[in-house]
This record gives sequence, structure tokens and C-alpha cells, in this order.
Amino acid sequence: MIDFSRVQKELQECSRDIESSGIRVTPKSDNLGRLTGIIPGPTGTPYEGGTFCIDITLPDGYPFEPPKMQFATKVWHPNISSQSGAICLDILKDQWSPALTLKTALLSVQALLSAPQPDDPQDAVVAQQYIKEYQTFVGTARYWTETFAKVSSLGVEEKVQKLVEMGFPESLVRSTLEAVGGDENLALEKLCSG
Amino acid sequence: MQNQEEQVADGKRAAFEFEPKGEDCSSSILGNSILHSDGVGADLTQQQQHEEELAISSLQQNVPFVGDKEPLSALAAEYQSGSPILIEKIKILSDQYAAIRRTRGDGNCFFRGFMFSYLEHILLTQDRLEVDRVKNNVEDCRKMLQSLGYVEFTFEDFFSLFLEQLDCVIEGNESSISYDELLNRSRDQSVSDYVVMFFRFVTSGEIQKRSEFFEPFILGLTNATVEQFCKSAVEPMGEESDHVQITALSDALGVPIRVVYLDRSSCDTGGISVNHHDFIPATGNPPNAADGSSETFNPFITLLYRPGHYDILYPK
Repeated sequence: MIDFSRVQKELQECSRDIESSGIRVTPKSDNLGRLTGIIPGPTGTPYEGGTFCIDITLPDGYPFEPPKMQFATKVWHPNISSQSGAICLDILKDQWSPALTLKTALLSVQALLSAPQPDDPQDAVVAQQYIKEYQTFVGTARYWTETFAKVSSLGVEEKVQKLVEMGFPESLVRSTLEAVGGDENLALEKLCSG
Repeated sequence: MQNQEEQVADGKRAAFEFEPKGEDCSSSILGNSILHSDGVGADLTQQQQHEEELAISSLQQNVPFVGDKEPLSALAAEYQSGSPILIEKIKILSDQYAAIRRTRGDGNCFFRGFMFSYLEHILLTQDRLEVDRVKNNVEDCRKMLQSLGYVEFTFEDFFSLFLEQLDCVIEGNESSISYDELLNRSRDQSVSDYVVMFFRFVTSGEIQKRSEFFEPFILGLTNATVEQFCKSAVEPMGEESDHVQITALSDALGVPIRVVYLDRSSCDTGGISVNHHDFIPATGNPPNAADGSSETFNPFITLLYRPGHYDILYPK
């Protein structure tokens, strides 16, 4: 049984310091078992300027069991599958502890973006490129960030689709996008702040 | 560590993705995988240790978090055709100890054993002074965690559940429980896991509070910093406890613990004896500290350590 009262507290805490952390967590629906996490790409990395969405599913045993996290945004990184978005990170597996929270887990994922560990890869192809052709890796990672993690480069329908995929209802997405003049980042902020 | 995808390296991508289960990949943002060591007191070859751990682990599937009290002969039966040193040591143990209570070997056995043993002691002695004393220490632990920057909601539920159990084992409260009910609760995952997490928080807080004291011991086990050690070897469920964790928990709560070692080590002099180590709280206002008595304090919690596992022992 998921400890929903704890999840509520986590969401409150997270929304309190969005300004400083840049980390957001929003429920996909009334059911708190499925959420979307949003992390900004760390500055000074090929992910800078990108906004990365992460699908979060809470197992029944949460917080004793780790949250399941997977990138919804495509990302080029040795420890993240370029196809499925699966993340290779110890704290999401056997090193999880109830002392951690969704926010600290997302901060760890963000730290992973800053500090790839090609020796322990999730995506062997990316890891090989990181090791053997670092400049090509940086170029590819930056290109993927520009292409997939910056919603402003998308057409209206793609923007709608993207925001719907994050778990917001389509009609609300359309009206919000309209209200902010089509800027998805603003729309996202508005949607998140409810 | 080898990831499944590595097997299809050479730039050719597998046609499908593996599920993100990947137990074999373990990137750590600490950049430091900690090798766990169970090296308490035992001087064994790995093979011997492995055999002993197998003997224990094969029995674990059906063991509740804490089992029933069994006569010490049950322990002897387990080693009937085993090492002569162990058989001899169990014989020696049976002079001093009457019974054993097994715990599940899931990496939390030290904490589960400590939990049951402590609450059982309070239930049987109705030592209200001890309850008050330990509650004061629990409050200090709470403040320590806050000052270390832990968010209150991550630990408050575990703290309240432990304090609740303390009140329940004292008679005359509305919530008072019987011995059988204590056993039931200790076998209930939602109680046992919460109390284990309470202990893990307390242990982690104590280690970080006295990081200068613990640092050399931690460096002897891993090459991690104190904080990394707490995040990776104390706070996650299922991480086994060693000297460092036992010392910290004993100090933080001010509760002495005796650990009796049952392993294949023997003295050079040829005589076989059973070693034990008493963890006597260095801080945390231990029992008897106030009454000025100089007699040596006998820990009321005794655990039997076999490489990788702790059970509860009952003295005669």
C-alpha cells in the first residue's frame, strides 16, 4: 500500500522550493501513484537549456520500495537508455532508502546528467561513444537536447501531445497553451502550479 | 558490473531494449560503490564463510522476521555433522545460554533482533525508568536528524511508530499489549519495517553526529566518506550491520548490547572458547549511569553472530 499521505507531503515540499531546485513533481491524475518529474538540464553540460520529463510510477511498497523512474524525454547519456529512457542509478535500485524522496531522487538523476559513468552503462552505444569519441558524444547529446528537450522547437500539435503525455488533460493543455501565447514552458509552469 | 547491453557492444544495437530492471548496473552519483564487509571477528577463508552463509541462507525463506524461542539444542542440531570447532563452541554456549530466537536473514536481522529483544525486555521488566530514559535519547536523535538537514516527514512516521510500541509494552495503558501480541507485531511487516527504518535513521544520525570518531572505522571497511557510508550502508533497507552500526545504535539509544560470536576461529593456545563483545554506550546516558554503581553492567540484549547473521540469545 503506497503511503499517500507521505507522497502528499513530498509534493508540498517540492513545490515550496521550485525556485531554488528547479525540480517539479506533478501527479498525472488524481491517483498519486503515477507522476511526472521535470528537471532542468544542468548548466555547463550538453543538457543545458533542456527540460527533461521523467515518468514516475510508485510501487505499492513506496517509500520502502524505490520509485520507478524513466525518462519520457529522449536523452543521449551513457547511463540512460536512448531508446526506452531507462535509468541506471543505484539509488533507484538497491541503494534506495525511505530517507530519500522523489525530489532527492530527481536531484540525483540531475547529478547523473552532470556526471556520466560510462564504465557502468545503461546504453552501451552511448557509453562507447563517450569513451572513444568524446566530442562526437557532446555534439550528439547537445543535438538531442535541442531536438527533444526544448519544447519551443515543436509545432502546436507536438506541443499539445507532449504536454498531454506529461499527464495533463488535452482540453486544459490547449486552453493553457492559448492563454500563454503558445509558449510551452510557460504553459507547463501554469499547468504545474494548477 | 556488466550490463546486458554490453554484450551487444561494438556499435551494434540490439533490436530490442532490455527492461530497466538491470540489477547488475549500479551507477552511483557518489561515484563510489561500497563493497560490503561482514568482517566482524571472524578470520575465515572465503570458502568457509561462504559455506556457513549458505547453511544459514537456505533456512531463511520460511523464517518469520522473528521466530519462536527454541532451546539451544536446536542450534546444535543444525551443525550435527558440521565443523568440530562449531560443535564444541555450541556446547560451551549451552552452559550459559538457554535458548535462541531466530530472525530472518534479510540484511535487517540485527535491527529486527534488537527491536524484539528490547521491547521484550521492557514488557517483562516493566522498567518505566528505562522507557523514559530511552525516550529522551530518541528526542535527541530527532533533533540531531533535523540539524543534519533531514526533512521531518521522511522520518517522523518511523519515530512515532517506535514510541507507540514503547508505550504498548508498558502495562496499564489503554494500548497495552500482551507478549503474544508483541510477537505478532514483530512479525508484521508494516510494524517491523517501520521500526527497522527508525533504527536506521537513529544509527545514521549518530554516525554523522560523531563522524570524526567513526571515520577511521569506516575507512577500514570501505573507501567511502562518512556521509556516503550512511547513505549506502546504513539508510537503505537490507544493508547488513557491522561493528560501526551496532556501536552507533547502542551509543545513540544508550542501550548496551552483547554480541556472541559463533565462528570457526580458535585460540592459538589450542583451547576453544566463545568470544563475545559488549557494546557499552559511550554516550547517550546509559542505564545505571545515574546511580553511581561501579559494578559492570550486564547487557540485557544478547545477540548471536554467525558470519552474516544475527539471532537473539537468551541467557540461563
